[in-house]
Amino acid sequence: MIACLVIPGFELRAALRPRPRLALRPAALAPAEGTEPLLGPVTAAAESVGVKPGMRLGEALALCPSLVLIEADPQRAEREWEEILRRLEDAGIAISPAEPGTAFFETRGIERLYGGIEPALKRALAAAGPTWDARIGAAERKFAALAAAHVAGPGQLLVVSDESTREFLAPMPLGLLPLREEQQQELKELGVRRLGELAGLPGGAVAERLGPDGRRAWSLARGGERRRVRGRRPPSELVERLEFPEAIGNELTLRRAFNVLLDRLLVRPEREQRFARKVAIAARLVGGASWRRTLTLRDPTIERDRLRAALAPKLAELPAPVLELRLELVELTESTGQQLELLQAAGAELDTRLSEGLRQVRSSTGSGSVNTVVEVAPWSRIPEARALFVPRDD
Amino acid sequence: MVAHTGSTRVVRSAGRLNAPRPALVEANASGVPMLVNRQSVALVREEWRVVDRWWTEEPVVRRYFELVLDSGQNSVVFRDEERGCWFTQRA
Repeated sequence: MIACLVIPGFELRAALRPRPRLALRPAALAPAEGTEPLLGPVTAAAESVGVKPGMRLGEALALCPSLVLIEADPQRAEREWEEILRRLEDAGIAISPAEPGTAFFETRGIERLYGGIEPALKRALAAAGPTWDARIGAAERKFAALAAAHVAGPGQLLVVSDESTREFLAPMPLGLLPLREEQQQELKELGVRRLGELAGLPGGAVAERLGPDGRRAWSLARGGERRRVRGRRPPSELVERLEFPEAIGNELTLRRAFNVLLDRLLVRPEREQRFARKVAIAARLVGGASWRRTLTLRDPTIERDRLRAALAPKLAELPAPVLELRLELVELTESTGQQLELLQAAGAELDTRLSEGLRQVRSSTGSGSVNTVVEVAPWSRIPEARALFVPRDD
Repeated sequence: MVAHTGSTRVVRSAGRLNAPRPALVEANASGVPMLVNRQSVALVREEWRVVDRWWTEEPVVRRYFELVLDSGQNSVVFRDEERGCWFTQRA
């Protein structure tokens, strides 16, 4: 079975860790700077007075003038989440994190270890820690496990058998599906409000109306595909940090500090000639807030200039002066060398690469974005009658 | 499910390459362009006519001009004599 561990409102809970008293008051995660003024997760006290996640800031403050806005602390959230994941891994669970507050794992291996699925899941809940109000859903399919985790109460387990998956999913709201707001709205306008109603429609009609996203959502509403979950590769702990005697806001100084950190990181012997696949830059800001940007490199590298070109522009996004700058090699490759090409690709190999490239363009820009030019009357005196472009969706 | 109205549907049919685009052209008394999309014409390099499909209900009667604009840009415009309007097109 696949289990899903969910900690609702994880970022808010992480930001409230140093101020636990606020968790009992109406509080909400403040919108990030430069984004729409919509609230993040809210505390139970805020929910009890009608404040909901995703609500407009003005509306929420009108409804609850005593609402406390908590600034997000991504650095702390990442650290706390990493600690939870490590505790789960220490319990023998090969965990696959989806986002902070949501992770999946296969129960097969640990069922034997703990003598059944229920003791194994209880062990996972205990490993997550009692203060986080984690809950676990388990099912044969990933999406059903996620839905079950959303239904389970704090500290509870909910196991859904494969036979009852569709019946279990049927009354669930559409909000669980990875659909955009306008797509959800479109379905609601058509009278589709529950997963069961979507699952009952013909797949072709849903795909016609909502495109590939709709087709995927339809498939998930029917339980989704049966896929295995692979545990993550534990992250490396290659971190370099630089503390400043006073807050620094000057980008030139920050860039110099960044270069020093990069140089220090690249000569660390623990790297063992491996390449960086995922890197992160983080900062502790004046006033106590934190800032973090993570970047997965398309081609793993340890070239100083490429890493600098990828990460240094992020410094311009810093919202406040910095007290501490950190640079992390989050994930390293297993390989220690790179296979270069002796001969340039040609023939079938080139065709395969071209097809793959076109597939990626189509998946990112949508159907109809890749076309072939077909000459129909190259001799015509009318220029627009000489050739047509025909969409290539194959 | 209600049938789609077609208003937001993704068009997947073939399209014409190099279709003419409407242009803002001011011409002199003899019909030669002087201004194209608010840019003065520096030189008329060539002029030709295309008369085709006269046997159909959509005959093509165009007077093409290959121009050099004041900015140095090359441009091809034509006047559709049937509809009385100007277009730009790569000829």
